Amino acid sequence: MQQRKKVWTKKRPIPVTIVAWGIVILFVVRLVQVFQPLIRMNVLEDGLGRPLTVGLRLTPLGSAVLTSAVYLLASLIGIVVLIGFLRVRHWAWVILMAWTGSSLAIGLIEYFYSHPNYLVMASNAVIALALNQVEVQRIFQIRIEQDEQRT
Amino acid sequence: MSSAPDLSADSRDRRIAASTPDMELLRHFEPVIRFTQGEQFFPMDVVRYVQACSLWAHYPTGRDELLVRQDDLTINSLIEPRAADFGTVHYLRFIENLSLTESADVLTRQLRLRRRLKNSFHPGLGRLARGGLLPRIVDALFSLSFLMRGRVPAASSAAAELDYFHIRAKRDSFTYYGRVVRQNHWTVLQYWFFYCYNNWRSGFGGVNDHESDWEMISVYLYEADEQFVPEWVAYASHDFHGDDLRRRWDDAGQLDLVDGHPVVYAGAGSHASYFLKGEYQAEVNLNLPAWLESARRIWNSFWTQVLGQRPADPFHIPFVEYARGDGMAIGAGHSRDWAPILIDASVPWISQYRGLWGLYARDPISGENAPAGPMYNRDGSPRNAWYDPLGFAGLDKVPPPPEVLRLLEKNCAEVTSRQESLKTLIPDKAGELQSLGIRLKSMEGNPHLAKQYAAMQRRMAALAEEVRGLRREHSENHAILESLTIRLERQRRGVREDARAHISHLAMPAATARRRFDRVGEAWAAISLSLLLFGIVGLLFLAPRYLGAGLAIITILFVVIESVLRRAFIQTVSELTALLAIIACVILVIHFWYWLIVGILLAVATFLLLQRLRELTG
Repeated sequence: MQQRKKVWTKKRPIPVTIVAWGIVILFVVRLVQVFQPLIRMNVLEDGLGRPLTVGLRLTPLGSAVLTSAVYLLASLIGIVVLIGFLRVRHWAWVILMAWTGSSLAIGLIEYFYSHPNYLVMASNAVIALALNQVEVQRIFQIRIEQDEQRT
Repeated sequence: MSSAPDLSADSRDRRIAASTPDMELLRHFEPVIRFTQGEQFFPMDVVRYVQACSLWAHYPTGRDELLVRQDDLTINSLIEPRAADFGTVHYLRFIENLSLTESADVLTRQLRLRRRLKNSFHPGLGRLARGGLLPRIVDALFSLSFLMRGRVPAASSAAAELDYFHIRAKRDSFTYYGRVVRQNHWTVLQYWFFYCYNNWRSGFGGVNDHESDWEMISVYLYEADEQFVPEWVAYASHDFHGDDLRRRWDDAGQLDLVDGHPVVYAGAGSHASYFLKGEYQAEVNLNLPAWLESARRIWNSFWTQVLGQRPADPFHIPFVEYARGDGMAIGAGHSRDWAPILIDASVPWISQYRGLWGLYARDPISGENAPAGPMYNRDGSPRNAWYDPLGFAGLDKVPPPPEVLRLLEKNCAEVTSRQESLKTLIPDKAGELQSLGIRLKSMEGNPHLAKQYAAMQRRMAALAEEVRGLRREHSENHAILESLTIRLERQRRGVREDARAHISHLAMPAATARRRFDRVGEAWAAISLSLLLFGIVGLLFLAPRYLGAGLAIITILFVVIESVLRRAFIQTVSELTALLAIIACVILVIHFWYWLIVGILLAVATFLLLQRLRELTG
């Protein structure tokens, strides 16, 4: 058991650990975002007794529930990616990079429209830079794939 | 003489008696030129071309004056002395200005002629599909730059094609101008080719069009056993210089021969010479202002060294040089033969006409201006390929094979002799230094000798430096002698060096895998830029409040689509994310610089504290 742990530590360089911590931070942020709208609408105390929609339109409660659901989904995907990432899976790197790219793009657009979320932006930037390390890309077999594409 | 390679059993053996007259020598090694299907212009003689031209002068005031009319101009009247102010440009004009109806007429006639001759060009994979979105944007700006720069009119190419067809119809001959130069034990055969038009841009999607075109290749011979032996061949090229221009005669992988004649694959429209047939990615680097160029360099080193990304240069535009060799061919083994003409500096039109051989289009970056003759550059200065044919191909430092052994032996003898003298010189000087040291030591503690002591100290320092230098020289000479001896031994055994060791940039046709791109991708390459602009217009009309966000989303979307089509999704997403991360970092630094400094100071303080505590605790 002890020996297995040693190999595991050897395979995982510092940037991978940084990325993993970044994902955990983002997971916590998303988790807060799951509960924030529900707390605002007193769902935890009053429950979901009131209607979620009026005709085809969402009520404020419906909107809060939908937002929470989206963030919950994001958190769950985050957990799956985290597991894949810690198990050094190629797909996890690709999804994480695409996810981080999209998240950064949205974060920057939000910043320019005066709704900045600096913590998310910083975490994403750290993850992006760590994922771009040559060492990390080699471990996840990204470099090899790119080199093959070029030849 | 013994070091000459033994090619006698090889089909590449093209020895010829050293007493052979120049013209025969030129004919013996004259090249075969293979053109691309669709090529319209071939090497011709300048006399017939000049007769079809008018002569003009462009004055520094901006005024153009007709000096000699078409039909009145001959090769003899071309060289008549014409006094002019500094800055005046003399130029020939093959195609006169065309009106709108004349332009339409020549374009129609050109189409008919091509159909009749069945000599049309098929580009295959378009050049735009070979570069990314950013080079495509730069390319569009390059195309727009023609609106501001001088350029050869669009219909000129068609008119030139028709005129050249009529010239050929009268007498179909293909000329090269051969020159024989003897320099530093080398005999250089230069073959100059004159084309009446370069239609690379209008005919083959290339960089430029210009009236007249001069191209050149050289064969380098050395003398062994009273025979000339070919050793190198150099082809002039847009993107390469010096050593990169030449290939060794025995390099079968890089130099094709037909019956012992070197084969040139001419670029379609541009007539640039290539050793191998294929499609070459010619990249035109834009001349950026110095500040932009240094900013680009700094960004590139940050991008590659800090972020670990692959180097990328969006400021060069991909152009394709089609040197397929599937069209007409001239020379040995083909139905069309050369009509050679021997030239040297005494030929009047070579040395006395310093003007341009075609239209001066007033293009500030010269791409559309016609070239000058073989002996001169566009500004009238001497052309390097003419006065220094060895230096042109990087051969000025290379002795011919029979000379190599002699020079190596001479070098070895010189270094050995120097080593011998150093063997006695170094101990003598070292002994002198020790003697000075003893004398200096004895003077210490005697205040009345202070002056002499200082002078002797200076002398000793100089002597110590000299001894150090001699020892360094001895050590360096030892290494040099070792390498010289190894090379000498190899030469004596007749071992030839790697035929491509001198090449730092090898021109190679684009690999098939690099050109793999399906129809959808090519269609996307053609329409993507316009779609992007339509998208921006749509945003301006439909959602002007969200222009910034919309623009960012559209751009990212286009880049991602492009990457999927180019099968480079992972690389593109990685680069894009890195770029966005940098922007985010800049924003975070701007907003939190104070806390960043505090954080850095705290981290440094903690690190130092821990380090010192560790030292204290042992």
